[in-house]
This record gives sequence, structure tokens and C-alpha cells, in this order.
Amino acid sequence: MSIKASEISDLIKARIEKFQSATEARNVGTVVTVTDGICRVHGLADARYGEMLEFPGNTFGLALNLEQDSVGAVVLGEYKHIKEGDTVKTTNRILEVPVGPELLGRVVDSLGQPIDGKGPIKAAKQSPIERVAPGVIARKSVSQPVQTGYKAVDSMVPIGRGQRELIIGDRQTGKTALAVDTIINQKASGIKCIYVAVGQKQSSIANVVRKLEENGAMAHTIVVAASASVPAAMQYIAPYSGCTMGEYFMDSGEDALIIYDDLTKQAWAYRQISLLLKRPPGREAYPGDVFYLHSRLLERSARVNEQYVEKATGGKVKGRTGSLTGLPIIETQAGDVTAFVPTNVISITDGQIFLETDLFNAGIRPAMNAGISVSRVGGAAQTDIIKRLGGGIRLALAQYRELAAFSQFASDLDEATRRQLERGVRVTEVMKQKQYAPMSVAEMAISIYAVNSGYMDKVERNKVVVFEAALQAFAHSNHGAALKAINDKPVLKEHEATLKKICDDFVATGAY
Amino acid sequence: MAEKTTIARPYAKAAFAIAREHSNLGAWLNGLLLAATVVTHARVEPLLTNPRVTAADLADLVIEILGDALDDKGRNFVKLLAANRRLGYLPEIAAIFAHLKSEAERAVDVTVTSAVELSADQQKKLAAAVEKRLARTVRLHSKLDPSLIGGAVLKADDLVIDGSLKGRLDRLEHELAG
Repeated sequence: MSIKASEISDLIKARIEKFQSATEARNVGTVVTVTDGICRVHGLADARYGEMLEFPGNTFGLALNLEQDSVGAVVLGEYKHIKEGDTVKTTNRILEVPVGPELLGRVVDSLGQPIDGKGPIKAAKQSPIERVAPGVIARKSVSQPVQTGYKAVDSMVPIGRGQRELIIGDRQTGKTALAVDTIINQKASGIKCIYVAVGQKQSSIANVVRKLEENGAMAHTIVVAASASVPAAMQYIAPYSGCTMGEYFMDSGEDALIIYDDLTKQAWAYRQISLLLKRPPGREAYPGDVFYLHSRLLERSARVNEQYVEKATGGKVKGRTGSLTGLPIIETQAGDVTAFVPTNVISITDGQIFLETDLFNAGIRPAMNAGISVSRVGGAAQTDIIKRLGGGIRLALAQYRELAAFSQFASDLDEATRRQLERGVRVTEVMKQKQYAPMSVAEMAISIYAVNSGYMDKVERNKVVVFEAALQAFAHSNHGAALKAINDKPVLKEHEATLKKICDDFVATGAY
Repeated sequence: MAEKTTIARPYAKAAFAIAREHSNLGAWLNGLLLAATVVTHARVEPLLTNPRVTAADLADLVIEILGDALDDKGRNFVKLLAANRRLGYLPEIAAIFAHLKSEAERAVDVTVTSAVELSADQQKKLAAAVEKRLARTVRLHSKLDPSLIGGAVLKADDLVIDGSLKGRLDRLEHELAG
């Protein structure tokens, strides 16, 4: 695209004409100290909490500490050019980021500026990064599902639109994989996704973006990247920026999903800022308001009712609810969930998915511990068919775990116990699923129905995965219409006979 | 600077309270400013932190130099500062004292920086305009800075009213770049 020279000068002329040339009266102060991105500013008597401050060289900061004689501010971005004695001005603005559908498919930094080299973002709207969550009147309870595409998650810890479900586990247990697969599975659901990367390696972020592009999921996704190399202030605000971008969709009556990967690192960044601002350290050297840091962020994930959406859009959107589903990620150290930040976030969220190293190494992927993973509100949002079939899964696994512990001491077992153990082993096998292979509701239903109804009991345990793959292939080639019917209306009553027929036919062919 | 002000504030407030009780704010301010000049003098400053010089000696030294500029209360104040090893904070104390005095008199010091010399008439007009805006009596101090190109910058405490050509050009640059 070429731009005519006259167009540019016309543009500039218009902007010069619009430019307010009135004299400006502003509150100023002088920089006293600069330490690791924290500036202490003398003066600025009228600065407000959270206000943007203007430093020389087109740099901005955030006023975080208002003290008797000075203001403590974090510099957003590069701070090496700021010297003692520099003038700092108030701006009368609080930090805002661009929002809107224009951001979809882009990679932006914490301030909403593009960093993917695809040119500027022409977003029509700006919104403050810190907003108060919707109140009780504006809310509606969770009733629609977010399909992650994972059998284990969707059957046992279902996630509803507007829910906050924590993904917690040690490093290398597949937390990001679970989150990224969930984004990929939203291609057809119309849920807009925001992936906030905090304190990660640039290479990891590039990897996620590439995987999203390869799987065609970038079109409905915004990536907010604050890598480990950006200043702590940018890492601290990244989740709030991402949340504001997600709230735009919620407020306009759409569904959005936001992934904070991960909040542990954000807490670290905030701890660094707080200590440099000389706020008193508390447990694990975190400041006193580290709970509020996460609670105010996660409270903004909500499902809002029709009236709220109508009001937020100025009457343009009627009769639609909006939602922002939050999937925060927390990395534990050696499985310690009793550390400060994990306990905080566990208590804030509506449930958690525990991923464990032992399970991961045993080849059970996703490495979800079904015993302690829960979803407190998702059951109301689950599709009927998965809800009814999934109940059997949970029970079978619970009994299996109990018996497995006891059976280690017993040499010979009675028939019923042995059957339950065998069933448990097969359910565990069926719950395994590869990355980047999300399943539809119908596919899940067939697999779960087959294992629940005992079709796999006679299959050797190491052949279960092969059996399932063959069953899926058989269903796709011979019963495509039935699968579509299940996806369109996922009610067990209507399709139980179909499921039985598919399984019977498949076993009869013996093609496994 | 911020920390120094924090330490200096209680001293300044106490001195101000005494001066107001005896209604000789002007004399106190003069005394404090003189004392501040003394303690920042190149020959005196090293003595403040010299462990061999006792607090009493320091107090005597300052009082002797100042002579009649201080009354009895003022001398006691210097002795107190010396005993607490806070003589080095006299410049900040004087600054806060001056600020408190201005507040009490509902006056404000305004610095006008202009590109060209202001005529007496212009200064008068400017002072009247600022007086109206701040609702304070204004003591105008003018400075010259040709780099402003045109117009003037008014500074009253933290408030800066930038009406200079340079400031406007800077903002235009910002607007076009942003």
C-alpha cells in the first residue's frame, strides 16, 4: 500500500489545526533518585494514585507511592535516560490500553503496542487497565460451557463461561499446553481468546504464537507479551492490560477467554517493585496487598447479564449476555501448594486443575490429578451427555484409587474388586490425550461411553489407546451423521441407542 | 532531598510556631537564611561531620558568626540542632520556614522565565493575572532564558504554567509523533 505525499501533509495539517495550542498548566516535580526502574520524585503535590506521570524523552511512569515529601513511581519501559533533577509532569490520565476487535490476531506489549511487526493497530477505543469488576446486580450465573477439547477436563472438571479455573502444577507438567489447546479448540465456538504471557522466555512466547498460527487459532486470539526481559513494571501490569482487552468483548455481549501464564511471575514482579518502593515485606517477602493484586484481577472475570451488556453498549446489543472466563496459571515449586501465592489464588478461583510431575512422567497426559482437581461451578454449564457419562468416570477413578492402594497388599482378589481395578486402569488409559488434538463433544461421548459400558474390559491395557483411536476412526467413517447430531444436540437420552450401536458395530468388525 | 525534607519539617514547624507566637517571622527567617549560609560555607561544612568538634563548640561557632541576627530563642534553636547533629539541615529548614511564612501571609513566590526581558508594565500585568488565578499575593522574580524562543513560563511551587513557544513546539512534536 502506497501513501501519497499530499495525503501525509494533509494529515499533518489537519492534526496541527486540531492541536490545542492553549498554554498548559501542569503540576511538576523533580527526580530525586532512580533505582532499577523506580523513581522518587520531589514535588508533584497534586499527583493522584495510579496516575500516569510524564518523564522526559516521551517516557511514562505510574505513581504508586504518594508520600509526604515525595512520589514513588515505576517507569514503564526504558529508564536509563532519566537523570536526577529531570522534570516530571502529571498528565491527569490513568493508564489506558487500546481495546477492540482490531487487536485480534496481534501480539502486543503491556501497553497494547504491537510487537509483531505487522504495523500499527488502529483501535478505535481506549480503556483504563484498572477497572472495578462488575457488581452483583450485573452478574448472571454460569450456564454455558467452555470446551477445552480434553476428555479428562471436560468430563471431570468442566469449565463454564465466566468461571475462573486455576491451572496449577510444577514446571514441565503441561500447564501451558492445556491452555494453548483450549485456545485452539475455540476456533468454532466464537470465544475470543487472550493469552497473557508474563515473565516467560521470548522463545517460549514465540513458540506459543507459532503453534497458534499453525493451528489457525491466531485469528481469534490476542497475545499480550511481557517477557522476562522487560522491566518489572510491564510484567506487573500485563495481566490487567489483557483483562481490559477481554472485558471489551464481555461488555459487548460476546464470550472471551483469558489465560494468565503465569501469575506466580507477576507476583514476583510486583514483589520486586514493592521492595524497591520500600513497602514493608511480609510473608515470603511479598507485600501486604499481594492477595488483592490477584483477587481484583480475577474478580473481573465474570458472566454479565443482558441488562449490563445493553447498558455497556449504549443499547446497541440487546438480549445477549457476555462473559470473560479466566484461566490463571500458577507454577508451584516441588508440588508445594501451601506456598503463599498458590494458596491465595486457589482460594480466589472457582476450582483448580492440578497437574502432577509423577503422572506426567508415568505417561498420563494431561497429567491431571482427578482426585484433587475440582470445578465448583462448571457442573451447571456441562453439556447433558458429558455430564451423565462423566459421572461414571469420576466414580470409577475414585474407586480405582481407593482399591489400588489396598490391593497392593492382597495377593488374591475377589472378582468384583478385580473388575473395578481393571476398569480403573482402562479409564485412566482413555483419559490420555495427545497435544493439539482437541475432541468434539460427540467424540468424547463415544470414548467415554465405550469405557463406561465395558466395551474395553476385554481389551489389554496397553491396547486401550489403539482401541480408542480405531473406534474414533470407525465412528467418523461410518457414522458421521450421528456424530454431527450429537454435537448439535448433546442430550444423552436421544443418543444412547446410537452410541451403543456404534460401539457394537465396531466391536463386531474387530478391527483393532 | 525527600528524606532531608522529612527530617527538617518538624524543626521548621517548631521554629515557625515560636516565631509566630512572638510575631517576628521576618527576623526568624532572616536568621535561618543566614545560618543556612553559614553552615553551607566551604570552611564550616567539614566541621559539621568532624568528630573532634563537639556539639557545643559547633553551636557556639554558628551563634558567634551570626551575632545579633538571632534572639535568645534562635540561639537555643541552633544549640538544639547542634546537639542533635542536625545543623546540616538548616537550608531545608529555612526553605520550609519560608514556605510556611508565605502560606501564613497568603503569598506565593512566582518565578517568571521569559525569552526577552519583561517591561515593568508587563510584569505588573502578569503579577495581577497570577494573583487572580492563585488567590494569593504574588512576589514576582524574573529570569531570562532565550532558549524559550518566545512567551514565558510561570512557576509557583509545583505548578508550572507553560506559555512558551518552546513548550508549545515540544507538545506539537509529541502530538505528531504519538
